[in-house]
Amino acid sequence: MTDRAMEGFAARASHGRVAAVGDVGAMTIVVIIILATMHVVSGFVPDYIMPSPVAVAKAGWKILTNDMLHVMATVGRLLLALLFSMIAGVLIGLVMGVSTTVRPFLRALVVIDTGIPALSWILLAVFWFKDPEVRIFFILTLILLPFYALNTYDGIRALPKDLVDMIESFRPSRWQVVRYLIAPHIVPYILLTTKSVVGYATRMVIFAELVAAAVGVGSRMGLAQSSFHIDEVMAWTFLLVLLNMALQLVVSGCEKVALKWRPEASVR
Amino acid sequence: MNEPPIPSGRTAIAAEPVISLNRVVKSFADFKVVDDLSFNVRRGEIVTLLGRTGAGKTTVLNLVMGTMRPDAGSVRVADHDPFRAFKALRGRMAVSFQTDRLLPWRTAVENAELGLLILGRPRREAREIAVSWLDRVGLSGAANKYVHELSGGMRQRVSLARALAVDPELVLLDESFSQLDHVTSTVLRRDFCALARRFEKTCLLVTHRIDDAIEMADRVIVLGANARIRLETTVPPASELGRLRHDIETALGPEAEQERSQTFG
Ligand SMILES: Nc1ncnc2c1ncn2[C@@H]1O[C@H](COP(=O)(O)OP(=O)(O)O)[C@@H](O)[C@H]1O
Ligand SMILES: [Mg+2]
Repeated sequence: MTDRAMEGFAARASHGRVAAVGDVGAMTIVVIIILATMHVVSGFVPDYIMPSPVAVAKAGWKILTNDMLHVMATVGRLLLALLFSMIAGVLIGLVMGVSTTVRPFLRALVVIDTGIPALSWILLAVFWFKDPEVRIFFILTLILLPFYALNTYDGIRALPKDLVDMIESFRPSRWQVVRYLIAPHIVPYILLTTKSVVGYATRMVIFAELVAAAVGVGSRMGLAQSSFHIDEVMAWTFLLVLLNMALQLVVSGCEKVALKWRPEASVR
Repeated sequence: MNEPPIPSGRTAIAAEPVISLNRVVKSFADFKVVDDLSFNVRRGEIVTLLGRTGAGKTTVLNLVMGTMRPDAGSVRVADHDPFRAFKALRGRMAVSFQTDRLLPWRTAVENAELGLLILGRPRREAREIAVSWLDRVGLSGAANKYVHELSGGMRQRVSLARALAVDPELVLLDESFSQLDHVTSTVLRRDFCALARRFEKTCLLVTHRIDDAIEMADRVIVLGANARIRLETTVPPASELGRLRHDIETALGPEAEQERSQTFG
């Protein structure tokens, strides 16, 4: 790297740090404004429309002390389905990228799947499976898998021909091409996919739980709603926002570790 | 043109050809990129293919590498058809390209050991060999740096180390020094020649620069349009280089002067 590029890099890095501090500050301000608005509004309307922040905090405390099992069930389902979709989706994407005979069939399948609304899968799962765990796993996997498959396939198509020729010049086996070239090349695609689906997946698991399970955050929220505990609904909502932020942080952390060879990525 | 005499200054050059092209034709669509090309490279020889951009040099290298098949004629490398017997030549040939083509997620040493790992050498051994080659190309301090932390010259050195580490009988270089600045390129060329001669490698080098060709090779083959041989000559002692340069410029044709100042291949 040239000195000039280094300087530019350092400047951008420190700029990024300033921006990060600014982000936290902005977040704090926005949260305070939301809480203040809730506080003011709750003084004018009945509790079942808008509870006070204190009531929500109390409900939140109740959740944290009594309902952690449900939180863990939800997070567990989410992670399991993410992991499975990732592995299966990447494998399907790999086959799509490597085998020209199977590719059109798999692609047709994936394209059809992406066109099926999440709601259809949720309703079908309720008809087809008794076990709530199977239902939720089924729903999440079918929703998430095509993202991994298609992005992996895109990653393989974006392989620089230069590098393919280079590795071919050593006359490798097909497996070695996957191991030394394709696999490391698609890691950023997998991470990016995870980053962009994790929020969606969180929403979907809640939704699926509302319809298809008796344990988990989604079913607890349904219960709270049907018993007019809007403070609990709000508390769950705040918790889910926090959960989503935590998951994003985890994925970004993975990205930093896995892509340390590409420092520009963590700056941008 | 007659078979050129075995050049002086090289020790123990056996007569058998390692690369042998016989009346090779290769077309893309209607365009004959290589039209009836024949030449040999003998064991331990360093031969340069010199020609203008678009003459078909890279195509010839691809034919030798076996990534392309000739439309007519035969290409033999160490008595194999490099296209059909793709696996038979495993580990016997290594290429260094015009650009470094390093894997950005691997460090310098991890790039240098790539060929060895593909050849199935044990990890420890591969690492040791890669480290020693990085030493040889003057990069012992940079072994654990990622590609983006290396300069262009350092990357090209890693690329050379990666090619030479597999200890190939045959080294192919496609404009490997053309994109570097003059000083780096001169040093690298000299280093490469020293290594190639010390380890008695057979080398087929491709370049569009007359200076590179003369400086590095035992023998120069000048290619015109459609990879037709315009001149084939051994490189004479230093005192006669002026005349050779003149001959090559004539063979390359009027655009040679302009060609030389271009930096791309
Ligand atoms: N894969 C290809 N398909 C079509 N045309 C090609 C291909 N490779 C090379 N060519 C053409 O063949 C000619 C010679 O190319 P190349 O062998 O790369 O020349 P050089 O390396 O001497 O510059 C060029 O006109 C180029 O456009
Ligand atoms: Mg070329």
